[in-house]
Amino acid sequence: MAKEMIAMLLAGGQGSRLYALTQKLAKPAVPFGGKYRIIDFPLSNCVNSGIDTVGILTQYQPLVLNEYIGNGQPWDLDRLYGGVHVLPPYQKARGSDWYKGTANAIYQNISFIERYDPEYVIILSGDQICKQDYSDFLKFHKEKGAEFSVAVMEVPWEEAPRFGLMVADENDKITEFQEKPKNPKSNLASMGIYIFNWDILKKYLTEDEADPNSENDFGNNIIPNLLRDKRKMYAYHFKGYWKDVGTISSLWEANMEVLDPEHSGINLFDDDWKIYSRNSGMTGHKISRGAVVENSMITDGCRVKGTVKHSILFAGVQVEAGAVVEDAVVMGGTVIQANAVVKHCIVAENVTIGENAVVGAMPQDGESGVATVGAGVRIGAKAKIGPKAMINSDVEDGEEQC
Amino acid sequence: MLNSNTSALGIIYPNSYDALVPELVNVRSMASIPFASRYRMIDFMLSSMANCGISNISLLVKSNYHSLMDHLGSGREWDLVRKNGGLHIFPPFAEKTSQPYVGRVGATASILGFLRSQKEKYVVLSDANIAVNFDFSAMIEAHIASGADVTAAYNEAEFPASILNARDNTKGLYYTFDIDNGRVKKIYINSRERGIQNFDMNIYVIDRELFISMVDDAYVHGHEYFERDILVPQLAKLNVQAYKYEGYVARVSGIKSYFDENMKLLDDHNLDALFNGAPIYTKIRDDNPTRYIEGAKAENVMVADGCVIEGEVENSILFRGVRIAKGAKVKNCILMQDTVVEAGAVVEYLITDKKVTVSAGKEMKGTDSFPFYIAKYHSV
Repeated sequence: MAKEMIAMLLAGGQGSRLYALTQKLAKPAVPFGGKYRIIDFPLSNCVNSGIDTVGILTQYQPLVLNEYIGNGQPWDLDRLYGGVHVLPPYQKARGSDWYKGTANAIYQNISFIERYDPEYVIILSGDQICKQDYSDFLKFHKEKGAEFSVAVMEVPWEEAPRFGLMVADENDKITEFQEKPKNPKSNLASMGIYIFNWDILKKYLTEDEADPNSENDFGNNIIPNLLRDKRKMYAYHFKGYWKDVGTISSLWEANMEVLDPEHSGINLFDDDWKIYSRNSGMTGHKISRGAVVENSMITDGCRVKGTVKHSILFAGVQVEAGAVVEDAVVMGGTVIQANAVVKHCIVAENVTIGENAVVGAMPQDGESGVATVGAGVRIGAKAKIGPKAMINSDVEDGEEQC
Repeated sequence: MLNSNTSALGIIYPNSYDALVPELVNVRSMASIPFASRYRMIDFMLSSMANCGISNISLLVKSNYHSLMDHLGSGREWDLVRKNGGLHIFPPFAEKTSQPYVGRVGATASILGFLRSQKEKYVVLSDANIAVNFDFSAMIEAHIASGADVTAAYNEAEFPASILNARDNTKGLYYTFDIDNGRVKKIYINSRERGIQNFDMNIYVIDRELFISMVDDAYVHGHEYFERDILVPQLAKLNVQAYKYEGYVARVSGIKSYFDENMKLLDDHNLDALFNGAPIYTKIRDDNPTRYIEGAKAENVMVADGCVIEGEVENSILFRGVRIAKGAKVKNCILMQDTVVEAGAVVEYLITDKKVTVSAGKEMKGTDSFPFYIAKYHSV
């Protein structure tokens, strides 16, 4: 039986702008929002939208991601026919290829897609925090009689030059595509989420592969080629929370916004659109006598004896007595020892922050930075980590880094 | 087999001691009573068995087992979806002439055919009234090493007040041991002795074929209880070895003991003692992390995921999805899943069952010796 639409999720990006956080894992596997990883969002969106077949294209540091996805059961994507499949580049009879670009990654998996004989393929990106009903998007695509649709967000005009922009007419028909232009003609930013009719996608992927000068990229090659041929291309306006978390500051900001779903952030308290994740399996968290917890999100396995303000603690984080955590994102298994001060920063998984150490600082005199501590690092007692620091290896007792 | 404990299968009796906690089992069995902020009693026994490689587990349910079946699903969370073995739930096999059974003999008699067809050498028996992170591997090894017919686990503990002060023996049978050089010499039933006892945990390891013949024989004679009707009369003949369990044991033996055993886990030493061994698994609900909103105050609490806390909470255990609104004060309470305490309400020494609502501004206080219990779905 054919599937109406299957999803292909681009998860191969290195996420080099997340520096210390992506030394050992791919960007989609970066933890987010207390108990999730970034990839939980597109995967949950798929299953909540009724898409039961997802190919995940991996390339960079896939170990953590592969193990996390497993058989797809946490997302209800363990299916007899369909389900979630991790698709790394593989060796063929005549040599092997890394994925050369986003389009090439899909091209190399044409046979995977054809097993399901889909009418439509949705291309998703593994580095965005967003709740989106892809079935609404498909409805739009069908109503317009489109061959290609792209989800777009209105962005402030002054920020438009940072994005790939779609210029569309009053019927949402795309007339032009501008990649990070100096003089934007539109403020409709591409979210990097596309629906293609499969026959069209296959045709253009095959042509693109045959072109030796192509970068094999959706934005730079496939979309311009579609435009050149005057294909039926439409822009689907998405209204809702959407955030590209490709940089340290945007990742930190998106986490902080989770604390205020009434105003800015993504609402994770939504029984109708649950975000699924692989569970830590730890006991309920404990707030001890004398602890202070304000305006924060805390999950299973945490032990709080100190002060936590406006922060997100992932599973199993310990905050010892006298320690202060403020405006911080503290990932799973990290221990913040007595009287340490952790502010305005991202601390990755399984870090130890020694007694009386200071990590990060609140913004001052317009100087702001998000200090970042990579996974598994030990910050020595009384060490001092400046607000712009990017720490990837152990820091000695009393050492200062800025 | 690489994993030696695949030589044992597990049998759990989820309705044992239901009569001790009539309030909590009104809509469920002992095994599915919520415990320790995100678990059900059964999770401890199932996880302990699964962690020791026992992956063929039968649950002999008797009554009120819908909530238990809902909780267990296919058994995936305990890694018990197996081609060989896995989780079996046996409801009573009703016939025109059948009467509801009492005790392990009647329960087990209905699955003798199943037991005969299994391959494991040993059976491990247990109830679901104790929360424990039990190492069955060690107990099975001890059983094999001693050459016993039956190995019985016990812990050294005082009787809970509910037993000491019971007016009669009809609510349930408790057993204590006299032990001589590792062998159980005498079994007392519902002794009212004070002080530390060798308190039977009702966990036994027996050779499967011996167990089948014991039950088969007892059934013919109209016997009911494994301990009272099989072990006690045959104690001279059977080699029953006592296996002392030194780990943390939380026994639910009444609503007050339920309250106390939960509250004890607010002490980190107890919590670590129960959970720092092998992992305890439970049904996944995919709640978001718990949110403490501006103005919230929390001290000495254990809280599961999915809660939203705007008010004040102290010395309490909150299960998944609890909401405490602005200005509400919660002290010394156990609030089960999806309890809502509305704005300005003040509650103390309360056990609220699932989906209870305490309306805005209401005040409700139980006492230390008598916590109030509010039944499922009720609105105060």
